[in-house]
Amino acid sequence: MKRFLLIAAGTIGGLGAVLSITPPQLGATNLGLGLDLGTPPNSNTSTQTPTASQSTSATVAPVVTTKPSASSTKNSVPTKTPSSTTSGPATASATPAQSTAPTVAPTPTSIPVPTKTATPTPTVKSISGTFTGPVVNVNYGNVQVEITVVNGKITDAQALMAPTGRNDKYTRMALPQLKQQTLAAQSTNIQGASGASYTTYGWRKSLQGAMVKAGL
Amino acid sequence: MNRISVRKFSAVGTDWAAVLTGLGLGLTVAIELTALRASDIASFYLIIQTISRFAALIGTYFALLGILLVSRIPWVERGVGHDRLITWHRKLGPWSLYLIGLHVLLITVGYASQFQEQVISEFWSILTTFSWMWAALAGFIFMITAGVTSYKKARAKLSYEAWWTIHVSTYLAIALSFMHQILNGPMFISHPLNKAFWIFLYSAMVFCIVYWRIALPTYRSFRHGLKVEKIVVEGPNMVSIIMRGRDLDKLGAQGGQFFGWRFIAKGHALASHPYSLSASPTAHYLRITVKDLGDHSRSMADLKPGTRVFMEGPYGAFTAGRASRKHVVLVGGGVGITPIRALMEEFRAGVQLDVIFRASNAEDLVLREEMDYLAAKSEGSIRIHYLVGSRKIHPMDAKSLEALVPRFADSDIYICGPSPLVEAVRTAAKELGVPKNRFHDEAFAFHSE
Repeated sequence: MKRFLLIAAGTIGGLGAVLSITPPQLGATNLGLGLDLGTPPNSNTSTQTPTASQSTSATVAPVVTTKPSASSTKNSVPTKTPSSTTSGPATASATPAQSTAPTVAPTPTSIPVPTKTATPTPTVKSISGTFTGPVVNVNYGNVQVEITVVNGKITDAQALMAPTGRNDKYTRMALPQLKQQTLAAQSTNIQGASGASYTTYGWRKSLQGAMVKAGL
Repeated sequence: MNRISVRKFSAVGTDWAAVLTGLGLGLTVAIELTALRASDIASFYLIIQTISRFAALIGTYFALLGILLVSRIPWVERGVGHDRLITWHRKLGPWSLYLIGLHVLLITVGYASQFQEQVISEFWSILTTFSWMWAALAGFIFMITAGVTSYKKARAKLSYEAWWTIHVSTYLAIALSFMHQILNGPMFISHPLNKAFWIFLYSAMVFCIVYWRIALPTYRSFRHGLKVEKIVVEGPNMVSIIMRGRDLDKLGAQGGQFFGWRFIAKGHALASHPYSLSASPTAHYLRITVKDLGDHSRSMADLKPGTRVFMEGPYGAFTAGRASRKHVVLVGGGVGITPIRALMEEFRAGVQLDVIFRASNAEDLVLREEMDYLAAKSEGSIRIHYLVGSRKIHPMDAKSLEALVPRFADSDIYICGPSPLVEAVRTAAKELGVPKNRFHDEAFAFHSE
């Protein structure tokens, strides 16, 4: 009996210790299939806090307007602090290879924010054409996105490449969702498709590249 | 050995072990809780998936704990006692299997309902979609096999070697499941601390097994160079095996303890068998006395002198140091007399020993001559009572025991024998007011992990 009490005390102690440091983020959402979309599955970015991602999501707008060069990509780290929201460093997003790209960081909570911040784009530029993003290799294959832009607005997004194979049902389910979300968000800040987190990750990365090409 | 320190160590050590066990369980549950998002409980099938993850974590924790219990950590063995560790291991094992089974079931059902798939086809696509799922499935199958073969009925039909080989594959099972957890578990992806905790847990288990179950016994076996010296037939189907080695006193073994023995000879080397020492260890000799209970021990009589012996041990807390009274009652039933015989040499001068040897036939009174010799030499401090016959003649209840040993109630009781005998004496001791901490028993069937 005493031993059970001790075990219970230990359990509560362990639970309490962890939960007091990192309480469950019940406010945040997490997509199904056990993969946290907030972070690229194969990357080492794991320290993003919800506050940091909020601020980086705000930086998406400046990126679009400043049209920066890829050379400034090394400065991606400061974008995690709100103070840097006005500067160019957010352009880490210009190179999809940088896995710490801030545009990936936003957790799905910030979805409503970017849709608003991204809307100014059409007034800034009037770009039209078809732009192809880089090929992004994810766990189950390659993803490549091609966007059609009319007057600075993304009117279509197609996957030129997507993971295929026996189990592409997740992918098939995901692609229409990804397209629809991209058109709605007009940015890479999309929630992604449940059950296709790798594809979503690749989509975001490639879309990002395509958007940079387009100068969006 | 200082008897007081042994007893204190036992109680405090167990308490700390309990707290640590709880702490680990708390941390295990917490790593899923910290990773929990609102979306994980947003719908019925997501709740099922979340429950499945809790089941997986706790089940794996139990599996790791179960392995820790039998990893032969010396101070745990001394403090808790080997047979008690085995009892806990047996209680924990099935729960681990149930919980992991629940995980497999619920995660499949959860995903199937999320994607509106047939359960079978969803099971297939989970297997082929996620990383390391085939390894995890193999691990699960190993685990089920080990679990099923450990049920009493299945166990009785298997040879010890076959059972042991299957059971050891649990290590492999737990190892195989590791990667699918770390790579796919939402509580690990992007949670480096959780991952670190889990890796630490696994590493600790690996360390315990490699160090205490493999490295230390290997080192000791080579260091002491134990070889079979002589086989002595003690009675019908009873043989003593006398083994010779170097510096055996450095092992710190005591009468009442046991080793796992593996004789490097054809038909023996596959599995290690636990037997108690049947005499106090000396610097050069160890002795065990074995009844042909099963397929393995029958051929012990055929062992050739010079056969190398691989040993694991000493294990067990059935030692003289645990006694707190000046009067001790040693009870041995059948072949259970062997550790009792070894214990007879272990008590310091001034302790009065009453030895009760319970057997159904007179020919089962093995080692009788040397016990009589020890008693004769003891100048009255050892008395031996041979109780031969059926349970009706010798009920071993409170009344008969008190008649046999008047100071029974004020004694430390040591007992090793078949469980009906142990339970009868336990009840008698309770009736006579012997507190729990003065009742020391060693499970008779050592073939029991």
